[in-house]
Amino acid sequence: MSLEIQNLHVRIEEREILRGLNLTVRKGETHALMGPNGSGKSTLANTIMGNPAYEVTEGAILFDGEDLTEADPDERARAGLFMAFQYPATIPGVSVANFLRMAVNAKRDEPIKVKEFGKLLGDNMELLRIDRAFTSRYLNEGFSGGEKKRAEILQLAMLKPEIAVLDETDSGLDIDALRIVSDGVNALSGPDMGSLIITHYTRILDYVKPHFVHIMLDGRIVREGGPELADELEEKGYDFIREEVAAADAS
Amino acid sequence: MPPSSDWLGERRKAALEAYEAEPVPTWRRSGFWTTSLRNLDIEALEPRRYEAVGSEDELPPEVRDALDGEPGALIVQRGASTVYTHVDDELTAQGVIVMALEQAVEQHGELVREWYMRRLSESEGKFPAATAAFWTGGVFIYVPANARVEKPIQSVYAIDEPGTAQYAHTLAIVGENAQCAIREYCLGGDFDGQALHAGGFELYARPGARAKVAHFQDWGRGEVYDISTKRVEIARDAFVSWVPVHLGGRLTKQTLDIVTAEQGSNMRHTGLYFTERDEHLDLFTTDLHEAGHTTGDTVWKGALTGDSRASYEGLIEIVPNAQESHTYLQTHQMLLSQRAKGDAIPSLIVKTDNVSASHGGTVGELDEDQIFYMMTRGIPRIEAVRTLVEGYFEEVVQRLDDPGLETLIRRRIGAKLLAAEDQVKEFVGHRAGAAQEA
Repeated sequence: MSLEIQNLHVRIEEREILRGLNLTVRKGETHALMGPNGSGKSTLANTIMGNPAYEVTEGAILFDGEDLTEADPDERARAGLFMAFQYPATIPGVSVANFLRMAVNAKRDEPIKVKEFGKLLGDNMELLRIDRAFTSRYLNEGFSGGEKKRAEILQLAMLKPEIAVLDETDSGLDIDALRIVSDGVNALSGPDMGSLIITHYTRILDYVKPHFVHIMLDGRIVREGGPELADELEEKGYDFIREEVAAADAS
Repeated sequence: MPPSSDWLGERRKAALEAYEAEPVPTWRRSGFWTTSLRNLDIEALEPRRYEAVGSEDELPPEVRDALDGEPGALIVQRGASTVYTHVDDELTAQGVIVMALEQAVEQHGELVREWYMRRLSESEGKFPAATAAFWTGGVFIYVPANARVEKPIQSVYAIDEPGTAQYAHTLAIVGENAQCAIREYCLGGDFDGQALHAGGFELYARPGARAKVAHFQDWGRGEVYDISTKRVEIARDAFVSWVPVHLGGRLTKQTLDIVTAEQGSNMRHTGLYFTERDEHLDLFTTDLHEAGHTTGDTVWKGALTGDSRASYEGLIEIVPNAQESHTYLQTHQMLLSQRAKGDAIPSLIVKTDNVSASHGGTVGELDEDQIFYMMTRGIPRIEAVRTLVEGYFEEVVQRLDDPGLETLIRRRIGAKLLAAEDQVKEFVGHRAGAAQEA
């Protein structure tokens, strides 16, 4: 089971953001995708999930060998893809618990039994150290930055996708919240899930250890390697990589 | 001694004169919005009489469908006739009166006369005059001072046959320091043909009273025209939560006024509407502060599908010397069809200083980001849309604080969204496509 992105070109409002991106994430693997602001990281996450605001002009997104490039977002989700949003939408009037039930049921033929759902929710809330009262609040309405990110990880835990894309889940979190979110991701990672952690900074990588690191610049992946690549980036910064790439292009 | 109803005969006569002198109105606003009755054949309509029934089971199906067994008192008017009245012994023992207004004029003449049309007038136009001149049956609700009535008191106006003209008048008095919940339902059938409901509603909350008042209107798919005036007056230190809900009618023109009339009076006014097909809804509400140290909180939310038209205009008015009044009005409208048209206009007339009054209005469509977010959780587009619309109304529905009525409203909105599924899908799909082209 894998997510394969082949030569992906994406534009939004006449501007090409992704310019031939290739990436493969297999189940059981943890990948970190790093890049400066404007390099196209969020565009990639949104395109993987099928956001209609982004237009794929070339290339393909394959999941488990099946071409999902034109599929609707809900089909992709039911196939086993998940995205934790950098800025999740507010859903007024719909409680966290009701939203989760709806999402869990969307993947099933028969609706989940009340008792089974209660246990699943209870277990995952314990895992993420989330208070009971949280589930009766309207999803993301009046949530702090940390609460929103925890709600995203709670959804990840409840939906158990094959491949999860985490779009800047670490941004805006204080160190305690970052640790809780990271613990959650670590607990869910393993042979049953692959993940693509999109981040600007290296600090989440102190808590979540990736197998592979990719560095993105101007809509393409320019360097790939193991965890040591993140250390190198931390030390030298994006400008160094940018110069290195420019030099390689020139020669 | 003359019969107690002579005074009423005089009022009816004055109303008839006003009715005959007034032309059929056309309401124009903002230069582009017109509510016209040119398609209504009033001459073809007549008050229809029905026999009374002995139990709820014998009421028309559209009435039975909306009932939930919770009321402590229930009075039902079908066409021109009061067909059913039931009051729990417990309420009667407390001195609560619920009966046809016609009957109350005979049995409680002085009480009715004291309050009748204090806040309504036969000289406000053709239809208020018609209602005052021609009403039959009617509803009288009296909750005596200090009574605590837990179960709702419910009245129903039903039109289940075409050709019906229903002139309706409700008078309700909630006595000093009394507490109660009042529901008035306007229900229609899915018949072919025209009908008219011309209504007057007046409620007086006496000093220290606390009342929850709900209006639920769903005239069904019949061609029902509803032209009504509803007023709520709140006396010293009293509180009223008023929730009008409009879920259907061919053409609705309503004036809804809530008056904080004396110091310390307080109100919460929460409205909801959902229009579909070729329905036309024209609402004008006034939050009138006649005394200082009064507070108000108004929220109206609507959604439009099909070719429907909906206009909500909400006025805050604070009279001279009503200092230390604090009030807020917000109105939201959601368009769910490309062909629907609406507006939501808040306005303000403040004739004194040292008050706070503010308002806000939005007209919008569903947010594509919210839909995308829900879809990434595996939820199909149409279900996401339905959930978002239901969630949009939830704030208003929860303010009802009446589980039976909340369930009814959720059920009806759900059914209406399902009926509009294709156009909602098409509309949202269209917008998604447009975003992609952009």
